[in-house]
Amino acid sequence: MRWRTAHQPRLTVIRALLVFWLVVPLTPLVLWAGASRWSGTVRLPQDFGFRGWQEALDAGVIAALVRSGLLGVAVALIATPLGVMAGRALGWRLLCRPALPSVVLLAPVVLAPFAVAMGLDVVILRLGIPGEIAVVLVLSVFALPYTTFTMRATYLGLDPDLEEQARVLGASARQARRRVTLPAATTGLATATGLAFLVGWSDYAVTLLIGGGQIVTAPMLIGSAAAGSGNDALSSTLAISASLPPLVALAVFTYAASRRRTAAHS
Amino acid sequence: MTQHPTSSPRSRGDRRATRQLGGARLVAPAVLLILAVTGTALGAVVATSLGLLPLVGQPRLNIDGFTTLAGDLRAATQESLLTATTATLLAAAIGLAIATIVVRAGGGVRLVIGLTVAVMTVPHLVGAAGTGLLLSDVGLAQRWSGISAASWPELVGGRWPWATVLELAWKESAFVALVVFASVGRHYADLREVAAVLGAAPRAQWRRVLLPLAAPALASSSLIVFVYSLGTYEVARLLGRAYPEPLPVMAYRLFTDIDVAARPQAAATAVIATGLALLAAVMALPLLRRLGAGR
Amino acid sequence: MTAALHLSSITHRHPGADQPTLADIDLEVQDGEMIAVLGPSGSGKTTLLRVAAGLERPMSGDVLLDGTSVLDVPPERRDLTVMFQKPHLFPHLSVLDNVAFADRLRRRSRTESRAAAQRYLDLVQLGDLGRRRPRQLSGGQEQRVALARALAASRRVMLLDEPFSALDTNLRTSMHQLLGEVRAALDPTIVIVTHDLDEAGLAERVAVLIEGRIEQVDTIQALYTAPKTLAIARLVGGFNEVTGTVESGVHHSSLGSLVLPAVADVKGSAILLVRKERLGLVDAEASATGRVVKVRQSGPHQDVVVELDRAPADRRARVEVEVRLGTTLRPGDRTGVQLPGPDGLWAVDHPVVEDASQISHATSEPAIFDSTTRGRG
Repeated sequence: MRWRTAHQPRLTVIRALLVFWLVVPLTPLVLWAGASRWSGTVRLPQDFGFRGWQEALDAGVIAALVRSGLLGVAVALIATPLGVMAGRALGWRLLCRPALPSVVLLAPVVLAPFAVAMGLDVVILRLGIPGEIAVVLVLSVFALPYTTFTMRATYLGLDPDLEEQARVLGASARQARRRVTLPAATTGLATATGLAFLVGWSDYAVTLLIGGGQIVTAPMLIGSAAAGSGNDALSSTLAISASLPPLVALAVFTYAASRRRTAAHS
Repeated sequence: MTQHPTSSPRSRGDRRATRQLGGARLVAPAVLLILAVTGTALGAVVATSLGLLPLVGQPRLNIDGFTTLAGDLRAATQESLLTATTATLLAAAIGLAIATIVVRAGGGVRLVIGLTVAVMTVPHLVGAAGTGLLLSDVGLAQRWSGISAASWPELVGGRWPWATVLELAWKESAFVALVVFASVGRHYADLREVAAVLGAAPRAQWRRVLLPLAAPALASSSLIVFVYSLGTYEVARLLGRAYPEPLPVMAYRLFTDIDVAARPQAAATAVIATGLALLAAVMALPLLRRLGAGR
Repeated sequence: MTAALHLSSITHRHPGADQPTLADIDLEVQDGEMIAVLGPSGSGKTTLLRVAAGLERPMSGDVLLDGTSVLDVPPERRDLTVMFQKPHLFPHLSVLDNVAFADRLRRRSRTESRAAAQRYLDLVQLGDLGRRRPRQLSGGQEQRVALARALAASRRVMLLDEPFSALDTNLRTSMHQLLGEVRAALDPTIVIVTHDLDEAGLAERVAVLIEGRIEQVDTIQALYTAPKTLAIARLVGGFNEVTGTVESGVHHSSLGSLVLPAVADVKGSAILLVRKERLGLVDAEASATGRVVKVRQSGPHQDVVVELDRAPADRRARVEVEVRLGTTLRPGDRTGVQLPGPDGLWAVDHPVVEDASQISHATSEPAIFDSTTRGRG
């Protein structure tokens, strides 16, 4: 039996409290999404139904989700490759003076997205660049610290000599990268891509500021439903619709990763 | 580590030089993109705040953007700092608690890990919507508590930004937990056994081994939470009160105002928010370096 | 006299394993003694240590310190400490504070703890490095700090889990010397787990652990001259194995009929064990003759493999002879093999098994090999 410090009931209580903390803000959403009638004072919905979902469909949630998805993919397409390259340079210590690029690569974390969006909006109005492109660029910049430093951590754990080994066995630089390094980095890559996608998927402020309400992504729908109408069932179903795809993707990825791990061990 | 075949110093030096040139080439696209976008954007913001990029009329250098609403700016700054500080402290404490539980890897820990990661994937806007439905005076918490709606404290849109702080702390505690766990996780299992055989009871293990080990990650993630909370728009917009509003909300309101004079004021608000964040980062840097956060 | 540490009938099985990791282990360590637990990888030595320390709970059995059971006492409150295979120094503390760690837990003041720690650091000859951080140390230095840290905990018993196996030979030798100095200075009670014979030889007694069972507890010298089973002989290495039968204290084999020492209590089918150092090569007629098959360099000496003439047709018999002063023999040369007297012979029980492929891992199931010796078969 593995060593376990004397059974501490205090820890069980703390664990339960933490589970409660993590779950509780989402509970009203789940309840409201399944409610067709829930008047002001009652603890649980009086009637369960799909009214909220119907209203969500009417509000255009499918199209909005698609747009959010496209935005996420666009951000991932830019931020991940750039992050992989920068992460490789940092993780394998390929720079003599890494301090300055590191600061630049970390800088977007410190900046407020709305400020950057505001400034870029001013510029693109004068230059006539479409808003969508500006949104993607800004969000990519904000995703870069996450992709870069995730890949840096990944590359720190990879042996640079392995690629050299592949080269002396006849592989070109690109083949070595593709066949030796990248397969060993799949978890890090998936994490980085996921983070970049989430930045695009979840964004509200930048889309709002630059798009001016014209680019209707899922968060935009949630924002207007939650702030304005007071239609709680609608905002809940919209909120859940926006949360599910990343959660499902995460579940699939975790399952695939654990399958791969057990296969590797057998 | 594989051994390098012995090579002459000159070829080793050449290889290192090629490696470093390659390194610069690898970093360049990301660095250039960031510099281009943020440089342009921040430059435009500063210029607008100083009246140099007006929507209509001639550019004229002035600080009206800052001075006209000085009082409001001060109130907004205070609100932003209050929200950010409280949210950061709460997120750090709870995040550390989560990481502690996870690192001890007892039973039922998978649930906590799964929930923490799930919370990270949920957008802040969703959390804000849920928190609003939870904490409002007709929210779920009120209905389940037995307190009447009239006596329910003003958590949403009240004098103190409770709801905003709680939502930010909620999602960011998951972030802190994951960052701390990622940096500590594997090492702690062995060090914990060593501490135990040297006589450390569980509480001493936490205080003398886990806490110092987690300190760098805790500090750097807390800084990120603080800076993020300063600049977040959607949470305060949904859950905060109309006045005083935090800097980002104020900036957006002014930016979308019909009055063209509001543009420089919006930009000024953005400049102050950005300046605050940069100041916080710079001030935190020596502490981070002392804790060894770079490693 | 009550033993300082007594492991009593310890049985342990890892979850999911069909064989027990430890089977009815009984071991006593006296005060001030150093005992080595010697065994191959996977024999359960580390598990034994972890059970003793309280890091794992055995399925059955008891752990007693000075006669009192500590089975239900968590590791931090047992009066023993462990030094692991890897130094595991606390990265956030200086070297001196690492050594002072246990003292600080006992609420001794920082000044006092550091002063005491400095003495232990001096003992391991790293007195000047107190202010350094672990990451600034070499592997050998880290292990020495780990040793000082364990010593500074001043526990009743110190358990060492293959503490020097990750170091290179020279470093390991100097650590053995250091351990000797530490024992002279502090007279600690030590259990050292190892697969290295020289390290085991530092201890007064050696307990041989094979597949979860203690097969023999003896001095290291006795393991070289009188191993109880074939598995132990193979673990120690350097033995020639010659199959044959014993009748009235005489072993009959292709080497001839040799008188065994009286204490070798074997009858019937048995394997003769002759250490390669005890055999000699002679030009003249000897009791055994044969043809040189191979000459192998072994450290500063040479091992000459000789195929004996008198082997039955269906079985080869080869012996390995360690030659100290160099030899001019080449493969194909004929030579005589000088056998030792009874004091250089040993034998272990060994039922005959026809097929050499019936090799099993349980020690009670032997098989006949070509009698070349080189560590384990």
